[in-house]
Amino acid sequence: MMIKLKKIYHDFIRFPSYILFHPFDGYEEFKRYKKGKLSVAIVFIVLFVYYQIFRFRNLGFLVNNNNPLELNSLEEFFTVFLLIFLFTVGNWSVTTLMQGKGTYKEILMMTGYSLFPLLLFGFMGTVLSNFLTLDEMGFYHLMMYLAYALTGWMIFMGVLNIHEYGLGKTILSFIATFVSVSVMMFVGLLFFDLIQQIIAFVVSIVNEFNLRY
Amino acid sequence: MKKIVALMMILALFPLTLGAGSYIYSYWEHAMHSAPGLAFEASINAEGLGANLVSPEDLVVYEDSVYIVDSKADSLVIIDEDFDLKHEWTEFVMTDAYRERTGTDMGTVLTLNGPYGVDVTVNGIFIADTSNNRIVKLNHDFEVVDVFGEIDDPTFDEIKFEPKKITVDPTNRMYVVARNIYEGIMEINSDGTFNRYTGVNPIELTPFEIFSRSLMTEEQIEQMQLFLPTEYTNVTIDDRNFIYATSRVSENNPENPIQLINPKGVDVIKRNGYYPPMGDIQYVEGDNSYVVEGPSTLVDIAYTHDGIYTVLDRKRSRLFTYDSEGYLLYIDGEEGKQIDRFSEGVALDYFGDNLLVLDRGTTTIVVYGHTEFGAYVNEAIHYHNIGEFDKAAEVWEKVIKINSNYEIAYNGIGKMLLREGQYKEAMEYFEMGYDQYYYSKAFQEYRNGIIKANFVWIISGLVLFAGFLIGRKIYKVYKQGGTILYDD
Repeated sequence: MMIKLKKIYHDFIRFPSYILFHPFDGYEEFKRYKKGKLSVAIVFIVLFVYYQIFRFRNLGFLVNNNNPLELNSLEEFFTVFLLIFLFTVGNWSVTTLMQGKGTYKEILMMTGYSLFPLLLFGFMGTVLSNFLTLDEMGFYHLMMYLAYALTGWMIFMGVLNIHEYGLGKTILSFIATFVSVSVMMFVGLLFFDLIQQIIAFVVSIVNEFNLRY
Repeated sequence: MKKIVALMMILALFPLTLGAGSYIYSYWEHAMHSAPGLAFEASINAEGLGANLVSPEDLVVYEDSVYIVDSKADSLVIIDEDFDLKHEWTEFVMTDAYRERTGTDMGTVLTLNGPYGVDVTVNGIFIADTSNNRIVKLNHDFEVVDVFGEIDDPTFDEIKFEPKKITVDPTNRMYVVARNIYEGIMEINSDGTFNRYTGVNPIELTPFEIFSRSLMTEEQIEQMQLFLPTEYTNVTIDDRNFIYATSRVSENNPENPIQLINPKGVDVIKRNGYYPPMGDIQYVEGDNSYVVEGPSTLVDIAYTHDGIYTVLDRKRSRLFTYDSEGYLLYIDGEEGKQIDRFSEGVALDYFGDNLLVLDRGTTTIVVYGHTEFGAYVNEAIHYHNIGEFDKAAEVWEKVIKINSNYEIAYNGIGKMLLREGQYKEAMEYFEMGYDQYYYSKAFQEYRNGIIKANFVWIISGLVLFAGFLIGRKIYKVYKQGGTILYDD
C-alpha cells in the first residue's frame, strides 16, 4: 500500500514538478526513458475539466462572476477536449512536416503534463479565494497569472524538447500550429454548415413528397 | 454555441419585455418580473383642458404650475395644480425697460415661432424660440424682459442658432442644447453673451483608426461615416446646480447616454449599479420588422429628490428610474394609444410626488403616481441618504415582501446589519444583493473576528507544528548517529 501511494506521489507530483523545474532533463527522461505515462496525462486532462466545473461554483464570491444557472458541465467538458484535440492534432500535423521527432502520443502526454501547474495553483487558488477580501484578491490573481505562465512555459519547453527543435524553430512551429488550428476550425465550420444545408434540402424534399402524395 | 445560447436567451426575453407587466434587469442582466414603481393616475388631454395644443414639445413644473410650449400653435400654456387651464399665451407685450432699450413702439407684441424648450425659475420664464433663433426671457407677468439671439461664436457664422432645450441656474446663466451643435451644451451668461461649451465629449480614435485614416485619401475619408461626438437631447438642472443631461446613443459612447455635469463641465454621474444607467440593456440589434431594435433613445430627464432621477425613452415609451448610485430602481410606462399609455413621449417632470409625461402624438399629459412599492423604495433611499440605516432597513423589509427579487433591497438591509456588527448575516444579504464591495467589508470583519477570538489556538497550533518538524529532524539526525551540537 505504502509503495503504491509512493508511486502515485512520484508519478503525479514529483515527476511533473521535476519537468517543471528541469525542463531539459525532465523531458529527456520523459521521452527517451519513457518515464511519461499516458494514464497520468489523461488523469490531468480529466482533472482539468473537473477544475473548470469546480471553479464555476466554488470560486469565492468576490471574484466569481459566473451565473450559477449557466453552468453546463457537458459544455465545459467538450470545450476542454476540443481545445486539446485541436492543439495536439494541429501541432502533430505541423511538426511532422517540420522534421519534429515527437509522436502524437508524446504530444498528447506533454500537453497533459503541462496542465500540472494550472491544476495545482488552480485548486489552491479557488479554495484560497474564499478566504480573501477584495483588497487581498491580488494574491489570488498573482497565483493564477503564475499558473498560466508556468503552463505556457511547460508547453513551450515540451514542444522544444520533444521535437528536438531550436528556439527559432519552436516559435515557428507554434505559429504554424496556430494557423493549422485555424484551418481546422474553418473546415469544421464549413463542414457543419454544408451538412446542415444538405439536411435541410433532404427534409424539404421529404416534406414535398409527403404533402403531394 | 455561446451565440446560439445568447440568441435563445434574447428570444426568451421577448414575451417579458414586450408584454404587459413591469420588469427589471437582474444582476445577471436578465429581464425579470418586478413590481411597478409608478402607476397611472390621470390623463389630461388638450380637449379636456380647453387649450389649443397641436404639437406640445416641452413641459416644466414651477411651483404650482405646469408650463408647456407648443411648436405648432406657437404658444405657452400654463396649467394649475388641479390641472385646469390657467393661461394660454401666444403674444407677449414688452416691458417698458426692454422697449426703451430696443426702441420699439408701444403696443408691439412678440410672438413665438416653433418653440421647443422652456424653463422657469424665480427670475423668470425662459423659452427656446427655436425657429426665431433666439431665447426669450419673460418675467412672471409674461412680459418680455430680454431676448438673446446673437451668439458670438465662430460656429454660428455658418449655421443658425436654433436652441432646442434650455435650463437656467439661479444666477440666470442659461444652458442650451441647440440643433446641429456637437461641441456640447452651450453655456450663455445672464446678459446673453456666449461663455463656453460644457460637458464636451472629445472623440477618441483608436490607434488602428488613426493609422487607417492616415492611409486614406480625402475622398475615402469623406465617404466614411462622420465621427460626431455626443448629441445632447435634453438638460435639466438640479438644486445643487449640477446639470442632468441626456444624449443620443452613438457608436462611440453606447453606455453613457445619461450624464451629470458638474459646474466644471465634467461628467460625474455614478455608475456603481449592476450596469451603467442607459435605459434598456437587452435589446435586439440590426434591422428587423418584428420588434423595436437598438438602444433606448432618451429624450428627457427629471430629477426628484435624494438623487433619484427618471429618464424617458421615446423609442419604447418607457420610464427608467435610477438612484444616485446608478442602480436601476424601476421601469414603467408602456407604448400605446390607450388612456394610461403614451406613444410619443417628449418631456417629463416631477410635480410633487407625481410624474408628468407629455405625449406629443396624442397631445396628452399622463400623470403617474407612485405605487406602494415605488413609494417604499423612494422612502428607503431617502432614509439611507440621511444616514438612518435602521429605518431604511425597515422599509427595505417591506419592499422585499412585495418583491423578493429586488436585489437592491437586500443590500440596504445588509448595510444596516454591517453597522450593527452582525457580519455573518450582513454577508448573506450582500451575497443576495451581489454587492461585492460591502460583502468584502463584512467578510473582513467576520474573518478578523474569528481570528481574534481563536488567536491563542492558532498560534499555539503553529508553534506545535513547527516544534514537531524540528523535533523530527533532530530525532532523525541522532538516529543516524549524528549530532546537532556544533563540534569541530
